[in-house]
Amino acid sequence: MSEALLRVENLSIGYDAGIGQIQALRAANLEAHGGEVIGIVGESGCGKSTLAAALINLLAPNAHVNSGAIYYKGTDILTMDTEGRRHLRGPEIAMVFQDPMTTFNPVLTMGDQLVDFQHHIDGVSNAEKRKRAGQLLARVGIPDPDLCLTRYPHELSGGMRQRASIAAALLMTPNVLVADEPTTALDVTMEAQIIHLLRELRTDYQGAIIVVTHHLGVVAELCDRVYVMYAGQVVEQGLVDDIYHAPQHPYTRALIACDPAHFEEHTPILPTIAGRVPSLLHPPVGCSFADRCDLATSRCREMAPPWVRISETQYALCHEARP
Amino acid sequence: MTALLDIAGLSVNFPVAGGLFDALVPGRTRYIDVLDGISLSLKSGETLGLVGESGSGKTTLARAILGLSPISAGTITFNGAELRTRQSFTNMRRSSAMMFQDPVASLSPRMSVGALLTEPFIIHGVAMQNRKVKAEELLSRVGLSKDMASRYPHELSGGQARRVGVARALALHPKLVIADEPTAGLDVSVQGEILNLMTELKTIMGLSYLIITHNLAMVRHVSDRIAVMYLGRLIEVGPTREVFRQPLHPYAKSLIASEPQPDPRKRRADLAIKGEIPSVLNRPRGCEFHTRCSIAQERCRRDAPQLREIGIDRIVRCHFA
Repeated sequence: MSEALLRVENLSIGYDAGIGQIQALRAANLEAHGGEVIGIVGESGCGKSTLAAALINLLAPNAHVNSGAIYYKGTDILTMDTEGRRHLRGPEIAMVFQDPMTTFNPVLTMGDQLVDFQHHIDGVSNAEKRKRAGQLLARVGIPDPDLCLTRYPHELSGGMRQRASIAAALLMTPNVLVADEPTTALDVTMEAQIIHLLRELRTDYQGAIIVVTHHLGVVAELCDRVYVMYAGQVVEQGLVDDIYHAPQHPYTRALIACDPAHFEEHTPILPTIAGRVPSLLHPPVGCSFADRCDLATSRCREMAPPWVRISETQYALCHEARP
Repeated sequence: MTALLDIAGLSVNFPVAGGLFDALVPGRTRYIDVLDGISLSLKSGETLGLVGESGSGKTTLARAILGLSPISAGTITFNGAELRTRQSFTNMRRSSAMMFQDPVASLSPRMSVGALLTEPFIIHGVAMQNRKVKAEELLSRVGLSKDMASRYPHELSGGQARRVGVARALALHPKLVIADEPTAGLDVSVQGEILNLMTELKTIMGLSYLIITHNLAMVRHVSDRIAVMYLGRLIEVGPTREVFRQPLHPYAKSLIASEPQPDPRKRRADLAIKGEIPSVLNRPRGCEFHTRCSIAQERCRRDAPQLREIGIDRIVRCHFA
């Protein structure tokens, strides 16, 4: 495979919480290549949003990078100064946030804001930028783009706002597009349309798209490769087909089994994952999933699990995984 | 089995804010129909799922049933008695309960969980012997530990707040529980826990549920019948299994097809439904779904279809079903 566009190496991030440090991300590795759609999937508190925030260097003030680096075109973005970061966000790596309402400034029209998004492009008039904004709005499927440019964010529906925020991200021609729960706030019909749009974009867009979500259906519909996260660690990675049809980590298996969309027929009792996510204030020494796992032995509780290579494309963080 | 809840021809309309002139001259105020001619019944012990996109009127219907939105036409009969006066709705709310959409926001931030759980007894003037004992009993019923009683809502996780919502709804042994998006914002594994809890309590306490949601995968497993709404009208009602197996209305069909499948081998090539739900301020003429329907004909733009009965226990609003 070619050189990765974005490479996360052994990244550990903690949040200072007064009583200690919450280990939100522990030794995470990730690679994204141009033209690829990557999915990061996991439940609340698994560290996926921390990872997404780190990717555009937008960590909270109390976050602390304990180890690791994020290489973008060979440079570690975590060591960049303010000026470097400002050039990075937008033209290089752009983000689509979960809530499309808070993405935009409520007191400016869409047109004004979409022109502002292109501030880094020199030698182009504002009229030209506005025209480009209109073209991209049409590209993301907004029926009357010129009218949309004169509207305020609250005048658009949730689906339209999310389309507009994707257009805003694309206006900056980023190489990496990070979408944090892009469909969570939307209806199922709008969700299908946004998935469809992102899938269309990947065909005519050379960059990498990274989708962070807790929705397994969205990942299955959209992504090429998947990283499954649990308790701050990447516990499995693989091609989307491997993950859904031959999951190796017990957590991945349990997560897929829990999804009610998986059952065709009526089931009175839905499967759940017994137990709770361990406290990340003092993460367990052994496997984080051991307390909830059917296969767990004493070894799992005492020793940190190895990163097992299942195949060329699939890896799992588990004592019991076999190639 | 007799119907526990019977809704006949229910309409709710809201006045549209016009100018000063409109407000002063009687008969000038314009109204929009948020709900139009809803007829539904819920049998005792049954779970009815109410589905539709945002803006289809699901939540307004729930609020109207509980007397929280004024009704402009139609009747609601609960447990054999028609609800009309404020007092009748108050009595009805004594034996029915609502689980609101946002579990944390629906709990007062300044009250402890124990106080929140026993508040319904005080509101409805129901005697309880010991507040603390009662709160602990309710907590254990939903699988939470006793020491939760002294916690405040912001100290709860999403799943715990949901459980408190369930405990609070069940405090007065209701006959009917209306649950508005009971699993929204929860992780898949926790979703299952809440739904299993609701199913278990239903059998133990003999409850009936009205579940409002846009999560089709979930409603498929918990409801006996489903009702699909579009722009404040019912467009299809039927047994859940039948509706999922063979949806009759093109909207129900595309809604089911829109649900993302957790299997990359079943990726869909094209969209089941395009465009957005129109505004109730500007309802399309004829069949209201014709703007997004794949099988719309000339007739659909002209004539509004009526609800028709098809087969046993199934009704649909489409010319071509």
